[in-house]
Amino acid sequence: MSDKTEREPEIVGFACSYCTFKASEMAGSLRMKYPEKVRVIQVPCSSRVDPAFVIKAIFEGADGVFVSGCHPGDCHFIKGNYYTRRKMAALKEMFKAFSMDGKVKLFWISAAEARRFIEKITNMYNELREEKNAGKKN
Amino acid sequence: MQGKKIDKEKLRVALNRFVEKQNQIVYGYGKNGIFITHKIYTDHVEDLSLFNPYFGINGATFFYRVFSKDIKVVMLLRPCEIRAMIELVKLNQIEPETITMISTDCPGTVSLKKAKADLPDDFLEIQKAAEKDDGGLRWACKFCREKRGVFGDAGIRVQEDGGMWIFPYTDKGSDFLNLIDEELVEYTGKFVILESMKTEPFVTDMDTFHKDFSKCILCKNCRDMCPVCYCVDCLFNGDEYLPKGDAFINKMLRTGTENLPYGKEIFHMIRMYHVSQTCVGCGACEEACPQDIPITKYFKGISERLQNLFSYMSGRDVKETIPYLTFKEDELKDTED
Ligand code: SF4
Ligand code: SF4
Repeated sequence: MSDKTEREPEIVGFACSYCTFKASEMAGSLRMKYPEKVRVIQVPCSSRVDPAFVIKAIFEGADGVFVSGCHPGDCHFIKGNYYTRRKMAALKEMFKAFSMDGKVKLFWISAAEARRFIEKITNMYNELREEKNAGKKN
Repeated sequence: MQGKKIDKEKLRVALNRFVEKQNQIVYGYGKNGIFITHKIYTDHVEDLSLFNPYFGINGATFFYRVFSKDIKVVMLLRPCEIRAMIELVKLNQIEPETITMISTDCPGTVSLKKAKADLPDDFLEIQKAAEKDDGGLRWACKFCREKRGVFGDAGIRVQEDGGMWIFPYTDKGSDFLNLIDEELVEYTGKFVILESMKTEPFVTDMDTFHKDFSKCILCKNCRDMCPVCYCVDCLFNGDEYLPKGDAFINKMLRTGTENLPYGKEIFHMIRMYHVSQTCVGCGACEEACPQDIPITKYFKGISERLQNLFSYMSGRDVKETIPYLTFKEDELKDTED
């Protein structure tokens, strides 16, 4: 685990099966590429994600975690993502207090937005890679 | 505000009127050997201590899952304990109909673990003792957000000369006040404790966390004694989050952790998040910790920061909803990345 070569960050993502997960499937069928070390986990709704899952993932080795759901107002279950928004806002505030902001992200990506999905996670990946290798340059 | 001027004797008479009836009890503090602890009075109130200089556990811990409607309770507790009761009501862990919660002004407390015996139980004397010996006051009390008895069904407030007043906040509170032989009068004077305390937003980092928690043995006492950590089936019961055996070895190899016990950050941070909106900053967790870890600093700090996000304060009002259980459509626009 302690090699000095460039290390790739690992990202765990929780994606709602009605939107972001569909977008990721569409990205796949359009042969779009995104970093290999992003693991997407399908959840029935973004509000299914107890922030405990996020915290567990971070302290068990993930470099970043994202939670992604439908745009506010578009939830399949009508209001699930409004709860997600509150929970994630609080979780991000907590990580900020621990000087670890940037590790947790919240995205809104609808089923049609394959390109947005790719952009968002590639950006996150690049940010984390820079951060992870910042101290290792020499 | 309309209230009644009382003294210890008048209150005792009123409490006895209440407690003499069948199935009615008073819950407060009383002398227990050389210390003062929580006490239940079932048929006669003799030596009730209205104020308690010792803090051992949060009194709401005894009142989880109280659903019985046959027993009427009057409780005279500190603001942090009443606030925990109110949070438990919101979480459906208590049926409040038959419980009259009265919060009393709190002069601050010392830790029951370390304190001298035979401290006084009078408000001004406790306060004087605390001022003289600042080191004696618990950390949670030094930075307490709200020491005023302004929560629950009624509140007992202390004047600068030591005189006491009781104010009703709800109908249940007024019913209790009817037992006191005094006229309701308008009160405009001052109290010893004037306002709540404001603190800076809490900031820390993982290095400090690891330093502070390096002695933690993951006994989970802090969870067990927390009044608002009420889940019957806690995540950390069982092996899912804190694995043992083969699962544990695999996890070690996977995460590269070298320090044991494994999962301190997971345990404390998840608990910190789960109680973030309901933590009342009482410090019972720290009191329960065998390793003297400054837990409350983290839990109180994080919870106040996260509650401010929603302009919420745990236990302020039973009619408020816990922020994670509700939402507004038009808010937190910048949460998305
Ligand atoms: S986390 Fe600690 S300070 Fe907060 S309510 Fe629980 S015992 Fe009290
Ligand atoms: S009570 Fe103290 S030692 Fe036990 S788990 Fe909590 S912090 Fe760790």
